[in-house]
Amino acid sequence: MSTSLSYREKTLYASLAAEILVYGPYFFLHQQNSVNKVAGMIVSIIVLQMILQLLIAAFTRNHVTDERDRLIELRGYRAGYLAIASLMVIGLGMLWFHATIGNHRLDNRMMGLHFLSVFFGMLIIADITKTATQILAYRKAL
Amino acid sequence: MPAIRNQIRELRAQREITQQELADQVGVTRQTVIAIEQDKYSPSLETAFKVAIVLGVPLEQCFQYDPQGKR
Repeated sequence: MSTSLSYREKTLYASLAAEILVYGPYFFLHQQNSVNKVAGMIVSIIVLQMILQLLIAAFTRNHVTDERDRLIELRGYRAGYLAIASLMVIGLGMLWFHATIGNHRLDNRMMGLHFLSVFFGMLIIADITKTATQILAYRKAL
Repeated sequence: MPAIRNQIRELRAQREITQQELADQVGVTRQTVIAIEQDKYSPSLETAFKVAIVLGVPLEQCFQYDPQGKR
């Protein structure tokens, strides 16, 4: 029995590919992150997502989404929320640790950029978790 | 055994309706019809009624509830 991908599933694969393509090099190749790079990443992901979604819409005949799609979407958002909430707790714990026990100074510019990078990373991990959970739900039939 | 089982595949075969045709008439994706037929997804009451109407049978002939089944 054939279980070809639905329109919604194709868009999820495209989202995941765009996220890995754009965010991967940012975190693994650049050691010095900056506000401009973060802004660049956000613009890149939006443009890439738009191009991919337009291509999928153009080459897919059936654009129907139904109750199962909405249920899977909610599951993805729940997983994404759990991921970001957990990472926030860990991040705040580490911040507290460095501020009280460690000897890091939290008032310099580099530290600000470091936090920007860390929180941006948390958002990306949560977003990838959301998309991956949705893909997994589709592959398991729910 | 799942809590909610169905006879959609058999009823569909008797009426020579494809999964895509059923999906189009009910207003869901073909993947959802596949998931329902495989007992991996229990549809909403509204979708269940629509499936029964399209197949021309009462709801209970299309879907059965087993209280001992796995939810």
